[in-house]
Amino acid sequence: MTPPTAPVLEVRELRKSFGAHTVLDGVSLAVAPCETVVVLGGSGEGKSVFLKHLNGLLRPDGGSVRVLDRELSELAEDDVVALRRRVSYIFQHGALFDSLTVGENVAFPLREHARLGDDDVAGRVAALLDRVGLGGTEGLAPAELSGGMRKRVALARGLALDPEVILYDEPTAGLDPVTGVAISSLIGEVTRTTGATSLVVTHDIAVAAKLADRVAFLSGGRFVFTGTMAEAAQAEGRLGEFVRAGGFHARE
Amino acid sequence: MSVFGRIYDLTWRRVRHLGGVALLGRAVARRLVTPPWDGREIVRQMEAMAVRSTNLASVIALFTGMVLSLQTAYTLAAFGAKLYIGEVVGLSLVRELGPVLTALMVGGRVGSGITAELGSMTVSEQVEAMQSLGSDPIRKLVVPRIWALLVGLPLLVVLADIAGIFGGLLISTWELGLTPGFYLSHVLRLMQFGDFLSGLGKSVFFAFAIGLIASYNGLSARGGADGVGKATTDTVVAVAITVLVLDFFLTKLFLAL
Repeated sequence: MTPPTAPVLEVRELRKSFGAHTVLDGVSLAVAPCETVVVLGGSGEGKSVFLKHLNGLLRPDGGSVRVLDRELSELAEDDVVALRRRVSYIFQHGALFDSLTVGENVAFPLREHARLGDDDVAGRVAALLDRVGLGGTEGLAPAELSGGMRKRVALARGLALDPEVILYDEPTAGLDPVTGVAISSLIGEVTRTTGATSLVVTHDIAVAAKLADRVAFLSGGRFVFTGTMAEAAQAEGRLGEFVRAGGFHARE
Repeated sequence: MSVFGRIYDLTWRRVRHLGGVALLGRAVARRLVTPPWDGREIVRQMEAMAVRSTNLASVIALFTGMVLSLQTAYTLAAFGAKLYIGEVVGLSLVRELGPVLTALMVGGRVGSGITAELGSMTVSEQVEAMQSLGSDPIRKLVVPRIWALLVGLPLLVVLADIAGIFGGLLISTWELGLTPGFYLSHVLRLMQFGDFLSGLGKSVFFAFAIGLIASYNGLSARGGADGVGKATTDTVVAVAITVLVLDFFLTKLFLAL
């Protein structure tokens, strides 16, 4: 059991390179229980690479990644798989399984892990889809959905096992502003009602302003800033420019 | 980059590729023999791979048998041995041409399909999504496809053997004036059950190799549609080369047994 004061996510000096290209060069970050931290950074700064280390999709070259009080590098593959059931990852483009319907996508983690009967699974799927505003879409194919709907279905699938941690990879990328606001409102509502700890990777300042308890700015393979949005807006240099260019000002 | 640099780079990539296939082979072998297996998915894959390949396998084998009969008759006629066409056609098909041609044709069709499907899933992060949901992509995606090939390819080889021998029968009766009974009795005269088994045995090895290469190329595809296309082409080439090279060593092995 994680002590209430211990960080749910704790990354120390994380390093990752692909060939000669160093993406993460000593990244450190701690996220407290029920906290929402938004990771900001420009394109290609390694935000998604950072996120993928937090549920073991990528293995670090160096450093430490602790999730729910477990050091990932010390876990056997089976233990990593067990941990992933408690840590949900919402992919940038939804990553819905093309060969399955919407209902089957949402049912996938339940059928894999929850040992429920068909009726119970159907009930849970309907409730989850209702929760993300897509009730009655069980029979649709992912190809029939808009970008926003795909992200909602991905969120419903990610919530199926009642995760303690939710990792969001660019939740509003590729969406029009109105849909983007709707998705960030939905994430905010999910965070409030589930009490899950959330880490949101984005370059969308509006998302950060709406959701962040704290923001962390990734630049040059390191977090060069962690603090509130108001503090970020007053920062000098690239971070301040980044936040102000996104339309956020300290008085907000 | 210098010439030596390029050679080093190419060699290193090939070694990494082979190492990757070998590691996947080990992971797959362990999961092939340990439950749980997804029976419904295995049946679905068998339908997609084997059942839908029956026309391809049987038409190719039929015409191969017909051409083989024509060519063999032409050659044997020079020695006055045209009556022995049944033995030559039967043994050639069952021991060699049935399994190899079926593996080449079906391997190209099925292998490219596996790579394209798994490659699309990989580049659209569906494979990572599966992992992040606490599932094992090798067990969910690779094992059912390889089981389907392990069962389906030998069955297709049996079908191809029958179609090829039937093709030989057509030519023997229409072109060479032999009776069907005479031709078939000569097909069976020298053929032993071991000949049939050696062909089937080869097809099991071919099936594993095709499934493994195709799955590895799909799961290691990178860079969107372009990467999937390249991986699919690589699979067709690699499957063709592997089947032919493997056939040589398996032939040596089975002849020595």
